[in-house]
Amino acid sequence: MILSLVFFTFSFVFYILTTALYLGYWVFKKKWLGQTATAMAFVALMSTSMILISRAGESGHAPFSNLWESMMLFVWATNAGYLLMEYKHKFRSIGIVVMALESLAMLSALMLPYRFKSVEPLNPALQNKWHWMTDLLSTWGLEKYAIGWLDFHVFTTFIGYAGFAISFGLSILYLIKEKSEEKSQRSSLVESFPPARTLDELSYRAIAWGFPFLAVGIVSGAVWANYAWGTYWSWDPKETWSLITWFIYAAYLHARVTRGWRGKRAAYISIAGFLAVIFLYWGVSFVLPGLHAYAS
Amino acid sequence: MPEKAKEAQAGMEARWYRTLGSKIWYFFNSLKLTLFVLISLAVVSIFGTVVEQNAPVEQYVTQYGEQWTKYILYTRLNDMYHAWWFLAFLAALALNIIVCTFERFPPKWKSLLDHKPEKKFDSGLIDKFSHRETVTLNASSDAVKDRLLKFFKKKKYGVVSMGTKGDYYFYAWKGRIGRLGSDVTHISLLLILAGAIVGSYAGYKDFFAVNVGGTVSVPQAEFKLRLDKFWIDYYDSGQIKQYNSVLTVVEDGKDVMEKQIWVNEPLFYKGIRFYQSSYGQSWNRIQEAQISMKLKGKEGLEAPVTVKWGELTSLPGSKYSVKLVGYTGDFAYDEDTNTVFSKSAEATNPAIKVEVYDGGKEVSTPWLFVKYPGIFPAIPNSDTDLVFTGYIPVMYSGISVNKDPGTNIVWLGTSVMGLGFILAFFVYHRRIWVHVRETGKSTEVKMGGTINKNNFVFEKELKDITESLTSD
Repeated sequence: MILSLVFFTFSFVFYILTTALYLGYWVFKKKWLGQTATAMAFVALMSTSMILISRAGESGHAPFSNLWESMMLFVWATNAGYLLMEYKHKFRSIGIVVMALESLAMLSALMLPYRFKSVEPLNPALQNKWHWMTDLLSTWGLEKYAIGWLDFHVFTTFIGYAGFAISFGLSILYLIKEKSEEKSQRSSLVESFPPARTLDELSYRAIAWGFPFLAVGIVSGAVWANYAWGTYWSWDPKETWSLITWFIYAAYLHARVTRGWRGKRAAYISIAGFLAVIFLYWGVSFVLPGLHAYAS
Repeated sequence: MPEKAKEAQAGMEARWYRTLGSKIWYFFNSLKLTLFVLISLAVVSIFGTVVEQNAPVEQYVTQYGEQWTKYILYTRLNDMYHAWWFLAFLAALALNIIVCTFERFPPKWKSLLDHKPEKKFDSGLIDKFSHRETVTLNASSDAVKDRLLKFFKKKKYGVVSMGTKGDYYFYAWKGRIGRLGSDVTHISLLLILAGAIVGSYAGYKDFFAVNVGGTVSVPQAEFKLRLDKFWIDYYDSGQIKQYNSVLTVVEDGKDVMEKQIWVNEPLFYKGIRFYQSSYGQSWNRIQEAQISMKLKGKEGLEAPVTVKWGELTSLPGSKYSVKLVGYTGDFAYDEDTNTVFSKSAEATNPAIKVEVYDGGKEVSTPWLFVKYPGIFPAIPNSDTDLVFTGYIPVMYSGISVNKDPGTNIVWLGTSVMGLGFILAFFVYHRRIWVHVRETGKSTEVKMGGTINKNNFVFEKELKDITESLTSD
């Protein structure tokens, strides 16, 4: 309990530092600042991993069972996704939006009341381990490390959320950049972002990762529900909102195939999609009742 | 035949149902419809999460007032996800998927199979691609050809070479199957939908509560189920860890299978699943009761006697013996049918029925109440009364039953969906056209092509080719 909160405090500082470094790189355009920012983002990623690992050690199960733990997973996945993207496409200037989002997420996790952070044993409905994995690991006496539908369902869903968060940041950048390109204003701050077309494409790539993972998350939740309770789908608010989000991103992907729906309109859909994600994640948990209401 | 007559005849042939049919077909073969339906579904689904579903009418009245309740009931917002108009949206999406797949898949399949150029292409074609590169090399066209083929082979491209020495044409391709990703994904959605429909029509859901030791027959099946044990596991902190039941399948009077089930671990037998879903105290059975005698003219009760269910027990110090034959948790009496029943599953007004024997003769069968001792005399014309003071309950386990023959189709759909996503998002169809032309001492290489998604990858690929050609 203590250890994971200590790592949390460290990570929080790391994310603020990372954001500040990316901000410095954006404003002053010094290469060494950018490199330090990337290194710091990596340190923050390691530190976030330690939160998750230490929490798993403290609770005895994968750390996906309350709002605070899931926030850590979200922060971790978004950071990992961003660093992969930076490594692959070498656009460092977009780090500022992603890391600002990360700092915000850490801040909101910090402000959660204590009862959403504490180590909780799993309630009966959440205890699920895959038989084949338990059997396989028991050959080496490691069966307590077996995972199950809960872990798979939550993990895939949050990779989805991470993809959408990155796409959201990129879509906002796109709209800013697009506006300045349209007016052909020369602003050295906007100048350092990649061209609008590239931002549009990157935003699409992030959704191309998020969408299938969210789908797998939804479907695995349904398959698990059918296995555990005998019903695939019961239109509980979380389920419905996940479907709403999925419909929005499905619309995004289909819109891209149609000419004239790229660029601005796509960016708006992506932003709407992420707002739906935020409501799906926080709004449903706090406002609407149901199985997924961590806050009840 | 004159033109007009021909047209008229054609018009006769194009009967109304054909035109209507094709109109409907083209209505559903539209990406705009897809966008419309997806966004509409997203928006209307929100209502169902705001307005509580399947609540009693009175609740809507208190929450929204009478007028709005009327609208809610009229538009079925109170059970929105099963309202005809919501299902119509889903059906439109399904039809949209089916029609689009039928319309787009065959030509796509054909063009994918038959994609190679039959004869050497026009070099001007390359200029039309947005992704293109031109390099001039100090090497012979044959050397360039070798390097190019080596690159394509290393990157697992398929290649056709055309043209003659000094003027080569190449067409290379990779990841054709990625084009099918969207179709595979769409088919998987239809499969999952089909599985859900099969499950809801051919299967059934049921629920029963079994007392520990009790047996129930399973609907639409040739076997019975016995509950041997029920217990709750707790964490050290006192929180509930798990609910457990031990179930035995009884077929033709024999025990054929025994399994401990808990939440997340159902019993599966002959296509039917049994889930742990609730528990409680039985309302029609107890293990044992405590009965005390009340003697006339004497203060207080005699020492209580434990009476086990169904066992004749003598009451010490008296000529009577009793047998516990009935229990009801929330006693109620129906005068019309002259029957006793339990008003609820809770033990609000527990009562037992005993048979009282004097020697070998049954003298009475009274109901005794914990809450109302002595309300009716237990034994008529006797100095002895009986008082029901306490009991040990029997637990029941609530078991949900689900027969779902659609499960396998849903599983198949899920696997197909995984495959579809990999193809749709991570396998890119790349096509590259290259023209190699030797001009005197140097060789000009012009290349260009397309990728169906992820332009970054493609730009990098073209750069890689250039690099592999220029560096030795």
